[in-house]
Amino acid sequence: MFVEFTLNGEKVSAEISGETTALALLRENFDLIGAKEGCGVGECGACTILVDGVAVNGCLYLAGKLDGREVVTVEGVGGEDALDPLQKKFMEHGAVQCGYCTPGMLLSAKALLIRNPKPTLDEVKVAISGNLCRCTGYTPIVKAIMAATEEGK
Amino acid sequence: MSSLEKVVGVDGDRRDTLSKVTGRERFSGDYKVPGALALAIARSTEAHALIKNIDSSKAQALPWVVRVFTARDVPGENSYGIIPITKDQPMLAEGKVRFKGEAVALVAAETLEAAREAAALIRVDYEPLKASFTPEEALADGADKIHEKGNLCFEHDSLMGDPDKAFAEAAVVVEDTYTTSSIEHSYMEPESGFAVMEDDIVAVTVSTQNPHYDHADLCRLLGLENDKVRVKQATTGGGFGGKLDLSVHSYVALATLLTGRPSRLTYTREESFAASAKRHSFTMKYRTAADAEGNLLAVDAELIADTGAYASYGVAVAMRAAVHAAGPYMVPNSRVYSRAVYTNHVFSGAMRGFGVPQVALAHESQMEKIAAKLGIDPIELRLKNALKPGDKTITGQVLGDSVGIRECLEKIKAVRDGWGAAADDPDCFRGIGVGAMLYGIGNTGVSNPSTAQIRVNEAGGVTLYTGCADIGQGSDHALLAICAETLGLSREDIALVRADTKLTTNAGATSASRQTYISGNAVKDASEKFMAKAIEETAKITGKDIADLCFTGTGVKGAEREVTLTEIAESLKEQGNELIGEGYFDPETVPLDHHTGQGKPYSTYGFAAQLTRVHVDKATAEVKVEKLFAVHDIGKAIYPQGVIGQISGGSAMGVGLALMEEFDHASDKNFDTYLIPTVLDVPDVEASFIEHAEPTGPYGAKGVGEPALIPTAPAIVNAISDAVGVRITSLPANLERVHRALQLMGGK
Ligand code: FES
Ligand code: FES
Repeated sequence: MFVEFTLNGEKVSAEISGETTALALLRENFDLIGAKEGCGVGECGACTILVDGVAVNGCLYLAGKLDGREVVTVEGVGGEDALDPLQKKFMEHGAVQCGYCTPGMLLSAKALLIRNPKPTLDEVKVAISGNLCRCTGYTPIVKAIMAATEEGK
Repeated sequence: MSSLEKVVGVDGDRRDTLSKVTGRERFSGDYKVPGALALAIARSTEAHALIKNIDSSKAQALPWVVRVFTARDVPGENSYGIIPITKDQPMLAEGKVRFKGEAVALVAAETLEAAREAAALIRVDYEPLKASFTPEEALADGADKIHEKGNLCFEHDSLMGDPDKAFAEAAVVVEDTYTTSSIEHSYMEPESGFAVMEDDIVAVTVSTQNPHYDHADLCRLLGLENDKVRVKQATTGGGFGGKLDLSVHSYVALATLLTGRPSRLTYTREESFAASAKRHSFTMKYRTAADAEGNLLAVDAELIADTGAYASYGVAVAMRAAVHAAGPYMVPNSRVYSRAVYTNHVFSGAMRGFGVPQVALAHESQMEKIAAKLGIDPIELRLKNALKPGDKTITGQVLGDSVGIRECLEKIKAVRDGWGAAADDPDCFRGIGVGAMLYGIGNTGVSNPSTAQIRVNEAGGVTLYTGCADIGQGSDHALLAICAETLGLSREDIALVRADTKLTTNAGATSASRQTYISGNAVKDASEKFMAKAIEETAKITGKDIADLCFTGTGVKGAEREVTLTEIAESLKEQGNELIGEGYFDPETVPLDHHTGQGKPYSTYGFAAQLTRVHVDKATAEVKVEKLFAVHDIGKAIYPQGVIGQISGGSAMGVGLALMEEFDHASDKNFDTYLIPTVLDVPDVEASFIEHAEPTGPYGAKGVGEPALIPTAPAIVNAISDAVGVRITSLPANLERVHRALQLMGGK
C-alpha cells in the first residue's frame, strides 16, 4: 500500500506492506534511527514518536495508519543548532546516560508539553511512565522536564 | 587551548549527549551495513538433553537462505567464558543442551524473515536428561550431571579467628536464612552487532562492556590469530554486567568469516531474556554473634548461588559475595562457605554488584535483629562496628586511609533526625530503614591492569587512546577529565579513541566499578609520561635545562619560544622514537588463600549508607518508597553529575531488586510480565557523596557504579520491617510477601 504523510515538517510517501510498523518504516525507509526498538510489544517506550502531536508506540502503530497524518520523530524536535528546551535541559541535568531511552523520553515529554505547557510534577511522571529507563533512575529526567517547563513559562 | 581551571570535579559537557538528544547517535543496530546477511538462531526447546540429530535440510532449502551453521562449523575451540578456569560455554551447542534457549544452529540468509523462517524449520532430535532447577536439586544424589566435572561449579572457603568460640561466648546470637531472586539486567538496548571483513580481518562492531576480552574469546572460537580479529565497541545502551559475556559477537564473526560477507544480528527482547546472563539467585544462611554492648564478635555464613547452565562470572560472584559477607563492619571471627552451582537455568553472570547486593540483604538484616535484641538504635549499632582505617576485614586485609563508612552513617543519622515523624495516615504503616555497605574496587584478588596511551595527532593536539568501554555511565568523560587535568588542558582539547582492539590496548572490563580508579590511573600515568617525554626531548632540541621548561598543552615552552608537539614528535621520529605516553596501572592485590580465604582482594573499597522511608498500604499491601537518601564515599568525584547519576540509577535498580523483580525462567519473555521500575515506582533519590580521598586513586577517586545499588534493597526491607514489625527475608518483597507479613502481625 501507499502512504503519504508529513514527516518532521516535510511531505513524504512510501510504498509499504500491510504489516509494516511505523518504527520499521521510519528507521528503514527514512534512516531516522532516533526511535529505537526496546521490546517490540509496547512496554518500553523506546520507539515513541508523535502522530498528530500524540505520543504513540512506533513498534505497534501500523505504518498504513500514518497516511495523511503529521509525524514527528526526535530528529524533528530540534537539530544541533536549534535545540528544543527539553533537549537542552536533558543535557544539562544528566538525564542522558546510555541514551537509548532518550528519544522516547523526549517525545513523551514533548507530547505532554504540547497539550499542557505547565504540568505538575505528577503530570510529568505520568506522561513518561510508559518509558523505561534502566540507567538514570528517572530523577534527573524528571528534573530536566520540570526545568524545561519552567523555561517555557 | 591551555586552561588553568580545574577539570577534575567539574561537570562540563559530555561529548555524546548532543547526538543522543538529537537522535543522531548510532548504536550497533542503527548502522547501515550494505550487503549484510541477516542471521537468526535456532534455540533449544529443552532444558537438559542430548542432541541426537540436527536436521537443517528444510531450512537450507528455503529460498534466500545462504547457509546453516552448527557446532561442527566452529573452526576453533567451541568453548568460551570470561574466567580462564571456567571456559565451559559453547557458541553452538555440541552434543547436548543445558538450558532452554541455548543456541543450537545459526542461519544466514538474505533477509531477516527468511533467516527466522529457516531457523524455525530446523529439527533437533533430543534425548531428555533430568533437569535441575535449583542448586539443591543439582547437588542431590541422582541428579544428572550438567557438566562433566559435576554440578558444583565453584566453592570458596574463608576462615578468620575462632568463630565457634566466639559464638559460644556471645551475649546474643541471631540467625536466619535469606533468599534473593534471579534478575534480568534489562538494559534498554538489546544485544546487537555486525561483522565485516576488513581485508583478512574479521571486524566486529558490537554493543559490549568488554572489547578486549571479546577479542580474545573470538580468536579462540574462530581459531584465528590475534591480529585477524578486531572488536570495536559501538555506542552501548547500558550493560550492568550483562554485556560482559559474548552474545551476538560470535555469530556475526562466524558467519562473516565463513561466507566472506558482512552479517548482522540484533536480539529480540525475547531472545535477550532467554539467552543472556541473569543475576545469581542466592540462598544465605547466616548466624551473627555480638556481645552485650553490641560489638560484633562473629559471622558464620553459608552462601549458595544458582549459576545456571554455564559458569560465566559465577566464580567471581561466589568469591566476591564471600569476601563481602560481613559488610562494612569489624568482625574478628568469621567463617564463610560460598558455592556456585550449575543448574539448567540460563546462565547467571555478572550483574551490578557481583553477589554483594545479595549478601548485603543478609548482613543488614542481621544488624537490625541484633539492634532489636539489644535495644540499640540501628544506626548507632552500625557506627559502633563500622570499619576504620587500619581495621582488618574478614580476609585479614588491613584497610588503608580511605574508609568513609562512619561519615556516611553519621550523615544518614542526621538526615533521619531531620525527616522526623511522617504524618499519621490511617490507611498505611510507615517505617524507616537503613542499609550500609562496602565494595571492593576492581577484580577479586587477581591482577587486573589497565593501559592507556597519549599521542600527538595530525592537528598537533593530543589524543587519548583507551580500551575502556563507555556503556553510558560516562567513563569517557571521567577519563578525559583526568587526562585534561594532568596535562593542564580542558576536556575539549583532547581527542579520544576508545574501545577498539585495533587501535587501543586492554583496559580490562567495564565492570567491578573499576574504570575510574584503574583506567583513571593508567590515563594519569600516560599523561604524566607524555609530558615528561615532551619536556625531555625539548631540552635536547633547545639545549635548555629541563627545569626551565614547562608543558603548555600544545607544546613545551622555554625562555624564548614554544616548541610545538608536532616538532617534538618529528624530532623523536627522526631518531626512530615516538612521542607517546604509555600508561599502566594494576591495583595491588594478594590472592586469597584457597583454604582460609585470607588475602588482600582489592587495593581500595567504596563505602555507602542509604536511608529510606516507606509506606505500606494496609489494605493492598503495596509498598511505596517515599524517600531515599543516599550517601557514598567515592574518594573523589571526577565527574560529580556522573556520580549522582550512578547513585540515582543504581538506587532505582535497587528498588526493583527489593520490591519487584523476580525473573521467572518459565514464563518471563518480555517487559509485559517482567516488570522493572517505572518513574512511578521510584522516589526522588536524594543522592550525595563524601570524598575520603584514596591515596592510590587518580586525584583520590575510587568507584561508584555498583555501590550505588547495594544498600538500597536492605534499607527498603528494613523500613518495611520497621513499618509492619515483620521481617521479610526473601526478595523481592512483593505484594504476596508483604501481604503475608501483614497477616502475620497485623502491623505494629
Ligand atoms: S519497542 Fe515499542 S514500546 Fe518497546
Ligand atoms: S539512559 Fe540508558 S536507558 Fe535511559
